[in-house]
Amino acid sequence: MVPSLETQSGLMQTLYDSAIGTAIRESGTLFPWIESVHVLMIAIVVGTIAIVDLRLIGFSSHRRGARQLIVDMLPFTWVAFVFAIITGSLLFLSNATGYYESMPFRFKLLAIVIAGLNMAVFHLTAYRRIGEWDDRLPTPNAAKIAGISSLTLWILIVFLGRWIGYSYPLA
Amino acid sequence: MSVEKFAQHLYGTAISTDLRETAWIVPAVQSIHIVAIAAVIGAAIVMDLRLAGVLATDETPRGVVKRHLPWMWAGLAVLLTSGFVLGLAEPYRVLTNLVFWVKMALVLTGFTLTLLFRYPILHPDYRIEHARAAKLIKPMAWASLAIWVLVVFCGRWIAYYQ
Repeated sequence: MVPSLETQSGLMQTLYDSAIGTAIRESGTLFPWIESVHVLMIAIVVGTIAIVDLRLIGFSSHRRGARQLIVDMLPFTWVAFVFAIITGSLLFLSNATGYYESMPFRFKLLAIVIAGLNMAVFHLTAYRRIGEWDDRLPTPNAAKIAGISSLTLWILIVFLGRWIGYSYPLA
Repeated sequence: MSVEKFAQHLYGTAISTDLRETAWIVPAVQSIHIVAIAAVIGAAIVMDLRLAGVLATDETPRGVVKRHLPWMWAGLAVLLTSGFVLGLAEPYRVLTNLVFWVKMALVLTGFTLTLLFRYPILHPDYRIEHARAAKLIKPMAWASLAIWVLVVFCGRWIAYYQ
């Protein structure tokens, strides 16, 4: 359960008042620069994950084997994801009290957690037996389900991210 | 007719007003726009880094381009369509904005590079080492990747530059 605003408001106000948060908020150009890097990193995360997800769903890719394709794409996904988290945290600091209250922001974080769990489940189940289906098409149902849910969640994450700027309290 | 006049005229049309006044349309179309740029960036990373000799070098350029070029075209088509709707909804925001025109010039350059350096690779007899502009392929691959990155930056800066 999400803690109530009252119990967290002190922390959020401290983050809002932090030197970094204040610097980004008061600068005319820092926010758009950080936001541009954030959008680019999300494009890399979603673009490279989509390539893997589509292979899991059953579209052939530039690698015959699914495992080699995952090995090709995952470094890009992870590096971009780390930068997306860093830039996202900086954007959050610039208006911590506002983002904290934003429902699309809360749902976005929740969707990222679910996407992470989905990936963990895939790695602990279908990926363990990848030797059996690595270069086979169509893919097993467990891989299809992992691909479809991952793709759906990441598209949802993009929508929720965009919605933050169009809803209370940040519209 | 000047760009300002045209934007003003477009702003006053019924369709532009309808798009603006339905609150969810602009953010929804912007989200679709971002998902499409993600598809383009994903395809660009794999194709351009393969041609630059960095990624999947044990696969043929043809195999890599054959898989990813259709997704890049599809992504660009969605970008063009969704971008058109966004421009129709807020013509002032884009048509009179210098960053928008820089972005369009970059998109045209990226599109041309893709046509010139990716499309021929699909030909079954294509051999990268015998290609007409073989020496240009690597630098053009890096240039193409840089262009799509700049396109993303320009896209976000349209909202801030006046």
